[in-house]
Amino acid sequence: MSQVADNAYRRQLEAVAKHPAMADENINVKPGLLDMPSNLLILIGIIGIAATGALSFMFNTKHALASYEVGVFTVTAFSLGGLFWNMVFHLVNAGWTGTVRRQLEHLMMMLPVCLAMIAVIVVVEIAFDGVLLSWMGLDPATDHLLEVKKGFLNTPFFVIRFIIYGVLWMILASSLWRNSVNQDATGDRMLTRKSRFMSAWGMPVFALSLAFFAFDFLMAMDYRFFSTMWGVYFFASCALGSIAVTLLVLCILRSLGLLTGLVTKEHTHDLGKLLFGFTVFWTYIAFSQYFLIWYSNIPEETAWFVNRKVGGWEYLAAILAIGHFIIPFLILLFRDVKRHVAGAAILAAWIILMIVLDFVWIVRPMVYLGDMAGESHAAGWILDVAAIVGVLALWFGFLLKRIAKEPLVAKNDPRMPEALNHRNYV
Amino acid sequence: MSVAEYFPMLKQFLPSGLQDPPPRFTGPNGKPVHGLVAQYSAVDPVCDAAEKVRDAGFTAWDLHSPFPIHGVEDVMGFKRTKLPYISAIVGLTGAGLGYLMQWWMSGNYEIVVQGKPPTAWEPYVPIIFEAGILLTAFATIGAMFAMNGLPRLHHPLFTHEAFLDSSDDKFFVYIEAKDEKFDMERTRTLLESTGADRIDVIEDE
Repeated sequence: MSQVADNAYRRQLEAVAKHPAMADENINVKPGLLDMPSNLLILIGIIGIAATGALSFMFNTKHALASYEVGVFTVTAFSLGGLFWNMVFHLVNAGWTGTVRRQLEHLMMMLPVCLAMIAVIVVVEIAFDGVLLSWMGLDPATDHLLEVKKGFLNTPFFVIRFIIYGVLWMILASSLWRNSVNQDATGDRMLTRKSRFMSAWGMPVFALSLAFFAFDFLMAMDYRFFSTMWGVYFFASCALGSIAVTLLVLCILRSLGLLTGLVTKEHTHDLGKLLFGFTVFWTYIAFSQYFLIWYSNIPEETAWFVNRKVGGWEYLAAILAIGHFIIPFLILLFRDVKRHVAGAAILAAWIILMIVLDFVWIVRPMVYLGDMAGESHAAGWILDVAAIVGVLALWFGFLLKRIAKEPLVAKNDPRMPEALNHRNYV
Repeated sequence: MSVAEYFPMLKQFLPSGLQDPPPRFTGPNGKPVHGLVAQYSAVDPVCDAAEKVRDAGFTAWDLHSPFPIHGVEDVMGFKRTKLPYISAIVGLTGAGLGYLMQWWMSGNYEIVVQGKPPTAWEPYVPIIFEAGILLTAFATIGAMFAMNGLPRLHHPLFTHEAFLDSSDDKFFVYIEAKDEKFDMERTRTLLESTGADRIDVIEDE
């Protein structure tokens, strides 16, 4: 691509660079400021995951893997959501996102960490001949429902699919990231155009790969179960979780005295609106899925929900209905909450907690499928805490390391003037 | 916005409490004064004038422009609308009524469908949702019209020939006579001090 040719655009870049909010100490984390928290988080993560691995041999591999998967799919949802929002913001040319997009790019660039952690799951599943993905260890001839699905649910194709998802996501994420950092260096606005073109074909690719990823790793844990809404259900957590993490990160950076005048209450307001919208979207998706399966009452579908209406999981479902919908819905209705740094941060942290609990509700009952006896009880909660906290801490630790390394905004983004002057008029 | 202004044809039948207050000022043609309109030919003067009128404490006044002006809500001193609170309260009421209706109906006449338990909460949800949405929509539209005084077929300002330019290249500030702070002489002096191109008295028809 050629260098920027036209003078009007160059003057715009110079005007943005001279803006008082674009001072170096405002858009760069002071070296060493985030070292301690990120190292601590990574240490907690390593300890947690190591403890999970050790306890899996002492107690129960199935339980350990399920707890680990709760954490892994939560952070994968956050990372995939980052990829999604980057593509959406490029596609719709969202001017206000000029100052917040870099943080979403960090989320999508956490995908290698997630893919590595998912690879561990794949290896464990294959090594133990199907731990949670029970179809791996079953002879298809024994179950008609597995027999008709064996063209899709077989180990070689499963591994191939996982590699395809990983390659597609890495192509999309690393290209968008490369365009963004190259633009930081050169100021070439054609890179934004390239990113937009890439997002246009990337969006359907992303939608299909995300849905099939959710089918493979989450829905197929019970190979009898099927729900056409499943991909969207997982996507709702992706879109919601990535906005929550971004909002939390931006609020923390604001409280450290960074990004003053760049990420204002107008930006937290807009991110809060997305948080509100996707809270409702998640509820809509989750309830419709449950409602239609409840009404049609087909055994191979209802079994999935029946397993979650016994053994104490029904209380978790009630907590999700109240905590994942009613509380954030009623609080986020208020404009002032979304425009207040601490208010937005608390809501974002709450939503992150609820997304973790949602994945607990999806994954953990699978441990007791068919056989409630003989599972770990006393040590169970240690495993859950170690694995979930471990994976989340590791992911957040690496995220902080990334954030500290790069400028906090894409400073040569052509949308910067609009983002700097962003206002909600209503 | 008085009831009489909404339904001028009903004026004579309304009780005295709902009638318009008697006119305080009489215009050059001997009719009651509806307001004073000042004309400007650029955005900056009209915004400066709006700030002066706002700071003078007027409430029944408006600014007319051929195109949207960014930031006009600040120079006019707009407050946030109360409409969302009306929508929320009525919406929750609607959802509650939707629940009560089903509770009463299935309590009085129990029908077992598909062997589902009659006490199941699941079928209630879509009805609760729909009832909530329905009442929210009605309340929002109705309250919006009640608060902004629309729809109305005519306004005395339309009798002012020069006001037609408000959809072309002129800007107007209009202060209504029903404002408590309105006074023919002092309001005219205020508008003159803002550098208006012309100031006209608008009379009732």
